[in-house]
Amino acid sequence: MLWALPLFPMLAGLTIWATDDSSRLRLGLAAGSAAGVTLVLALLAAAQGWQGGFVWGAGLELKLALSALSAAVAITVPGVALAVVVFAAAHEERRGLARLVGLMLVFCGAMELAVTANDLLSLLIGWEIMGLCSWALIGHHWRDGANPASGRYAFVTTRLGDLGLYLALMATWSEAGALDYAALGRLEGLPLALAAFGILIAAGAKAGQGPFAPWLFRAMDGPSSVSALLHAATMVAAGAWLLARLHPWLASVPGWNATVIALGLFTALAGGAVAVIQGHAKKLLAASTSAQLGLMFVAVGAGYPGIATAHLIAHAVFKASLFLFAGIVGKAAGSYRLRAMGFLRALPRVAGLSALAALALAAIPPMGAAWSKEQIVAAAVQQDRLLGLAVMVAGALSAAYAARFWWLACGPGDAAPKTRPGWPEIAAPGALALAGVALGLLWLPPVQALLPLRLPESGALELIVSLVLLALGLLAGLALARRAELPQTGAADWVGLPALIDAGIVRPFERLADLAARLDDVALDAIPRGAAAAARQIARGGRRLPGLMQADLGLLDAAVWRVAAATRALARLSDAPGETLTDGLPEGAARLTGRGGAHARRLQTGLSHHYYAIFAVGTALAILFLIFARF
Amino acid sequence: MLTLAIVLPFAAAALLAFAPVSAGGSRAVAIATATLSLLALIVVWIGFIPGQGFQAMLEVPWIPALGVAWRVGVDGISLSLALMSGLLFVAAIAWPMEREVNARQYYAWFLFLEGASLGLFLTLDLLVFYVFFDLSLVGMYFLIGRWGHGQAQRSALKFFLYTLAGSLLILLAIIALVLMTDPLTFDMRELIALQPVAGMDLRAGLILLGFVIGFAIKTPLFPVHTWLPPAHVDAPGPASAILAGVLLKMGTYGLVRIPMQMMREAFATWALALAVVALISILWGSIVAFAQENLKRRIAYTSVNHMGYAVLGIAVAGSALTGHEAARELALTGAVVEMIAHGLITGALFLIAGAFWARAQDYDLAHYGGLAANAPRLMAVTWLASFASLGLPGLAGFVAEVQIFIGAFAVWPWIAAIGLLGLIVTAALFLGMLQRLFFGERPAALDKFTDLTWSELGILAAVLALVVLIGVWPAWLLDLIGADTALVFGGG
Repeated sequence: MLWALPLFPMLAGLTIWATDDSSRLRLGLAAGSAAGVTLVLALLAAAQGWQGGFVWGAGLELKLALSALSAAVAITVPGVALAVVVFAAAHEERRGLARLVGLMLVFCGAMELAVTANDLLSLLIGWEIMGLCSWALIGHHWRDGANPASGRYAFVTTRLGDLGLYLALMATWSEAGALDYAALGRLEGLPLALAAFGILIAAGAKAGQGPFAPWLFRAMDGPSSVSALLHAATMVAAGAWLLARLHPWLASVPGWNATVIALGLFTALAGGAVAVIQGHAKKLLAASTSAQLGLMFVAVGAGYPGIATAHLIAHAVFKASLFLFAGIVGKAAGSYRLRAMGFLRALPRVAGLSALAALALAAIPPMGAAWSKEQIVAAAVQQDRLLGLAVMVAGALSAAYAARFWWLACGPGDAAPKTRPGWPEIAAPGALALAGVALGLLWLPPVQALLPLRLPESGALELIVSLVLLALGLLAGLALARRAELPQTGAADWVGLPALIDAGIVRPFERLADLAARLDDVALDAIPRGAAAAARQIARGGRRLPGLMQADLGLLDAAVWRVAAATRALARLSDAPGETLTDGLPEGAARLTGRGGAHARRLQTGLSHHYYAIFAVGTALAILFLIFARF
Repeated sequence: MLTLAIVLPFAAAALLAFAPVSAGGSRAVAIATATLSLLALIVVWIGFIPGQGFQAMLEVPWIPALGVAWRVGVDGISLSLALMSGLLFVAAIAWPMEREVNARQYYAWFLFLEGASLGLFLTLDLLVFYVFFDLSLVGMYFLIGRWGHGQAQRSALKFFLYTLAGSLLILLAIIALVLMTDPLTFDMRELIALQPVAGMDLRAGLILLGFVIGFAIKTPLFPVHTWLPPAHVDAPGPASAILAGVLLKMGTYGLVRIPMQMMREAFATWALALAVVALISILWGSIVAFAQENLKRRIAYTSVNHMGYAVLGIAVAGSALTGHEAARELALTGAVVEMIAHGLITGALFLIAGAFWARAQDYDLAHYGGLAANAPRLMAVTWLASFASLGLPGLAGFVAEVQIFIGAFAVWPWIAAIGLLGLIVTAALFLGMLQRLFFGERPAALDKFTDLTWSELGILAAVLALVVLIGVWPAWLLDLIGADTALVFGGG
């Protein structure tokens, strides 16, 4: 039954894709109800503990099951997607709309497959189909060649990470003979380390951590609704979710937790810094996604996968909302340059509702996201005080960029909007923003008691320091927002990482490929060409010899021919049937070949005499061969 | 029934060669014959019980003194390959001719090639195997040389001579192998059971070398692959599809059937070396493909990459006499699925390349762009075939590659780990290809570029439907292949 959860949105999405773009209303209703049904399916699956299995063959089986954490994510995904597809149907360009919303649903289905997977193979299948969807969606406006190029960048980067998952899969199978998650528990030593770090690479690539971060910027070439889906409910979120899901089996690997924390913390700080100075609305949000996912990584590394999942859900809700609002103000301003915005007066409802989402991003209590962030701080402090402080600084950065984003995009200004959003465009992100407020219930101890989570001890002192830093961050963000435009140096483009990757990996690889291709044409092909040239010389002399066959065969490859001749000489020493065979077989085959001589004459007049020779010699020998065989 | 599947195309080829049939008539005869052949194979499939060794046997004595006979029969590996070939031939024959000249001979040669190809997979006699191996060269030589374009004759000759050199080595190896038996026999089942060169060192090694080099040229593996790109570039689309889809499989099938099964000991000794060559092919094929500006050359080099995966799987499967049974089974299953998947996927890709040639007489990627608008059907099938080729889950290529990698890792972890890099390069090169064909600005010269006709689409849809079916529900194919029997009982 659990198969319905991934398959329904996939099939519904493909069906919607097959229809035309004529009616926004129809597409919105169809895609919205498909996401709604998926949400109901997810709720049913969680309530009734559905499971699924499918015999793949060759001793492998795909298994689906929900844990408490994955059930929560499985419900969040269609919930966020519902708002996103409704928004997309109302907001995005009419041309290609059916494809856009259809693919978004397929994307959700792939995410649901990864979320419900209970073995590494099912996970890998969902994981890579997500990559396909991200490629197609980022390149949605394909008429501008830069967009598909960005899609390709995203796909190749994340697939590079997927190789880690392949590695984990191979290590697990070769040690445990099975691929279900429980098999991870039977690993130890090097295979377990390979699996653990392989999974970390896969998760880090999808989540835009560390060196993999730049693909998130390139992904901004997709429509804003795609960014919302990608960053909140699928793809990027999948990275943190995967670590949280597999944490119980991987945490025992030496150095794994520390690596997860280091990667997450680095990304949280670097991403935060990049976001603070970014001048492009969507790129600012993209950098903040990396940073927020980094915080989730820290939570996992500190031993609290449940907290990471809670922050993931809170993040999904407010980040989808912010991206959708960014789509509205971007359309209204005609570009995503934050300086061109400032719509408080012109679009007050947008400004008001997006303020709620921005407060959640800044992690200001009583937002739900603030609660999960403070839990991460507490978990980090418990690990190490300095780590806790670093996470607080990352939190202050998020307050700064959130404040700056909202102030520039929706704060006071005289910008006149080019277009005004319709009500569904405001309602969809608005509902998400309000949901983020509702998550504030998490601050209430009775609600916390209901959660299947282990919570870190948190002290009052830490909370106060954290909140003070938060306030400083807010003020700094507002101050930055009111200053003149920040210079967009290389630092704003992920501290120069994309340029480094381009110069250090992409260009050298292209040069390598060109070199290999030239080598292939020149050097490798020289072997047969040289043989042919040598043979032509032999053939010229050979015409005078009675055995035209030899000249023809010499054309093939001098070395091969020499071996053949030597072996043939050897075979002559053996018994009579053997000899018959050595001579008879090639000749017999040649006779059959000779049948084509008539065509060959038209084709290769220069060689036809060879074929005649083969024909004649072959026929004669074949007759001898048949006579011989009678005996 | 198997004999019927082989003889029918030959008979129809003879008919077309000598009887004055109109162009339309020959096309109809060819399609009908190929379909009947496929049906005969399907009948065999229906009666086939997986895991029971060779079935649907027929044996007619021919030259008893030498132990040569007309023997046909199939196990899961050869049946699945023959079915794939039968289907691909129907598709290639039904595909519209590129240059409509001498249609009667064109279809005659196609049927001749089909007979030879099916014969190769279905026969259980080593001598007959060799004859069909060489006949397939002849058929393909004429198809490329006479109906190709560009430097077709030169390419055809290079293909013919290069692979004939390989087949000579195979012939010598066959003779040397058979001479070890007493009484002489060319019966594959007996040879598998006898293991004629077991316990010999140098001789077994030399014989193995002959087979491996011969089949490596046909497969083709690095560094003897350079005949492949020119042959593909200048061949007509349907011939390219058969060349990649069926003829290359003869190399890998031969590797499984002869060295791996008949010379288990020697093969196990040298399996690691073969695996390293396969690994180089995987990487080299993908890296060189990445740099190709010519659509067909790009696809051709990915064949080197994909066949590298298949050979890696075969090397793993034969890597030991005992131990790692489950991994070796998985690798062999993966290798056979790779052969079938590559046949269907690359077959489809070359038919697609043929569609590009038919419309623009150009393979240069730089001259294309923005075709998504005027050729959405063409884009959809190219999309699907490309993603299948780069190993996206849910499509056939993934099923093969994941099994090969898992199996290989258990035996040689480092080879599998390095081989993974091939996946990333193929992803980059296929996405780049899609981008340059279909996205961005459309050059003015392509304004009149037409979409696939419904018959072209139908053919591709049938082939790709199977790719999807294998991808989402591989169990039926994996059961049919039954690699466990091929390893445990030596195929018999």
